[in-house]
Amino acid sequence: MLTMTNVKKRFGEQEVVKGITLHVGKGEAFGLLGPNGAGKSTTISMICGLVPYDEGDIQVDGLSVSRSPYEIKKKIGVVPQDIALYPTLSALDNLVFWGKMYGLKGREAKARALEVLETVGLVERGKDRIETFSGGMKRRINIGAALLHRPELLIMDEPTVGIDPQSRHHILETVKRLNEQGMTIIYTSHYMEEVEFLCKRIAIMDHGQVIATGSTQELCKRLAGGNQLLLDVEEVRPAFVEKLKQLDGVEKVMIPEASEIHLYIKQDQDMMASIVSMAAKEAVKLRQIKLKEADLETLFLQMTGRSLRD
Amino acid sequence: MKKMVLIAQKDIAIQLKDRKAFLLLLLMPFLLTAILGFALKGVMEGESLPATVIGVYMEEDPLAREFVENYLQQDLTMLTVKVAATDVELKDWVNQDEVDVGIILPKEWGEQKTPAAILAVSGKESSALFTQQLTDSFAQTAWTMSNSTEKIMTNLAVAASYQDPAIQPGKVQAELLNGMKEVVERKGQYVEVASIGEREVSSMQYYAAAMAAMFLLFNAVRGGKSLHQEQHSATLDRLRMTPTRVDFILGGKFLGTWGLAFGQFIVFMAATHFFLGVDWGESAVQTLFIGLVYSFAVSGLAILIAAFSANEKTADTAGGIMVQVLALLGGSMLPLSAFPEVMRKVALVLPNSWALNSFTSIMNGATWASLGAAALVLLAIGAASIVIGSARMRVSALSGGK
Ligand SMILES: Nc1ncnc2c1ncn2[C@@H]1O[C@H](COP(=O)(O)OP(=O)(O)O)[C@@H](O)[C@H]1O
Ligand SMILES: [Mg+2]
Repeated sequence: MLTMTNVKKRFGEQEVVKGITLHVGKGEAFGLLGPNGAGKSTTISMICGLVPYDEGDIQVDGLSVSRSPYEIKKKIGVVPQDIALYPTLSALDNLVFWGKMYGLKGREAKARALEVLETVGLVERGKDRIETFSGGMKRRINIGAALLHRPELLIMDEPTVGIDPQSRHHILETVKRLNEQGMTIIYTSHYMEEVEFLCKRIAIMDHGQVIATGSTQELCKRLAGGNQLLLDVEEVRPAFVEKLKQLDGVEKVMIPEASEIHLYIKQDQDMMASIVSMAAKEAVKLRQIKLKEADLETLFLQMTGRSLRD
Repeated sequence: MKKMVLIAQKDIAIQLKDRKAFLLLLLMPFLLTAILGFALKGVMEGESLPATVIGVYMEEDPLAREFVENYLQQDLTMLTVKVAATDVELKDWVNQDEVDVGIILPKEWGEQKTPAAILAVSGKESSALFTQQLTDSFAQTAWTMSNSTEKIMTNLAVAASYQDPAIQPGKVQAELLNGMKEVVERKGQYVEVASIGEREVSSMQYYAAAMAAMFLLFNAVRGGKSLHQEQHSATLDRLRMTPTRVDFILGGKFLGTWGLAFGQFIVFMAATHFFLGVDWGESAVQTLFIGLVYSFAVSGLAILIAAFSANEKTADTAGGIMVQVLALLGGSMLPLSAFPEVMRKVALVLPNSWALNSFTSIMNGATWASLGAAALVLLAIGAASIVIGSARMRVSALSGGK
């Protein structure tokens, strides 16, 4: 569906996208992750023809963005990072307008707008002005406006920023359903759980480059010391800590609190049993032991040295 | 093409929902026409303004004195003015229904530092509203005049660096002030009669034409701001993500402004005709034609304003100043005959001046041929603005902005 080959973009002196190569298959739900300023929005703008790229090529469904911009725009629905709606017009009027801008005819546009209102769960608010909506409801209409022309590819740029849990839940369910119905999705977010919930494959972007692509599990496997064992002890004894450090498979030991020991361990290693018996030998009172599996958050932290949410 | 119409329709729908804009674009010129037309001639058949007893208390302020003694108490038969000695007395009058409405004009009213207070009598809120508008518009006009003069002088000083020996800012200022004084002294016969046709243009007619020419200009500001708004609110990006050529998006914005301006003109023309009895001349078609081409010029200016301002706020400020300067120089506040020769020459390049002259000459029975020059100039101003404005936008888009 989407193929990017060595795409570059600079704004003045600053090279914002430094050669991205990506492939997203038909029907996939693909996550694009990266800290603020990584170049995600710029990448999306280039895909939908808003910003011209300097080098490389972007193809959507076999068509080059630079050569057939209008064909491609018909295939893509974009949910921009900002709410791009007319606040004084009603939700329905907004949707009808955007539908017509995508070439829908009068009656068809109205019918589609009503359908989309249903999809985003705001039928009963259709006649109200956008400016009277809560942040979450605006976000939902913002998404709806990208769905009117039944795009084959839906690109969402942080569609859930700053909204209530209920709207977030609704949006995620909607997107999941759309994907199940065959729509290809590219999803950008700061929230790991959203990406994990929706996307099978992700790319991690930093400083204008894709630094990793793959399924969540694949990427987590690549982590050194991704999993953690969290020990809750009555008292941290230096001798015990020394013993722990020497255990095979332990990469790092940290003591964040007086009664806690965190062990970074290699994946696929089950060492709980040996730790429990070691604690017994050293007469350390072990109150609790917990395995924390590597997740995107740790992955991200390790790859970029930054937390996703800054 | 269809997309252009869609965008234009959308803009018009948005505008019609904006009540404040509606007031500015329709009610204000209508009221100003009524007020200026009345105040300056004082004769009017029919009863469009309610008979009202106005109670006034004023602190020492030259503008307030002018307002009460000359402006309110001309031969406006429907207004009776009672001046109170203290504000307490005025409040008593209001409480005891001795007046329909009270105005307190504070000390620095003339400097626009403190607004006038309107005391409404319950049950007579419409009088209060009317009086408020009367007071505000007087203050506004006075302020605009003094400010515009200053601004024009600054502008002329800049223009003078284009090496026109005929323009000497100091001299012009003196001439202008003299001209104004003369006009003010001639109060009763404010409007000089244009001698083209056989009929005379009444002050009501003159100000209807003048206010139309002036208030249509606000569409240029509004249109320019609306483009910035689209950019600022990301809807412009969204428009560009739809399969629509950029030229058509800009064309749609242009068309929307054009439609709104022309719509405003039609409504204004009808309202002044039916409610104020303004005679726009024999040929409504001619007037509408000039209205249409003038709206075209104004919509071009909107693109120019958008292209040369960084954001909505500068568009607003710069556009506002532009409207005032154009309105004054183009004869919308004082008839051009009040201006010195040099300034009348400046008016030759102003769209509103061409529009105003055309309207008044239609009122006098103009031939189509005599309107040709005005139509051409207005179309040229519009077209040039579009070309320059969109070229400028393209350049700034290439240099990194949007
Ligand atoms: N129009 C522009 N002009 C100049 N710099 C820009 C422009 N758009 C984005 N940038 C810069 O490009 C970088 C990447 O921005 P962006 O794509 O918005 O990142 P993200 O969406 O990942 O937060 C930032 O440093 C930003 O300042
Ligand atoms: Mg972004």
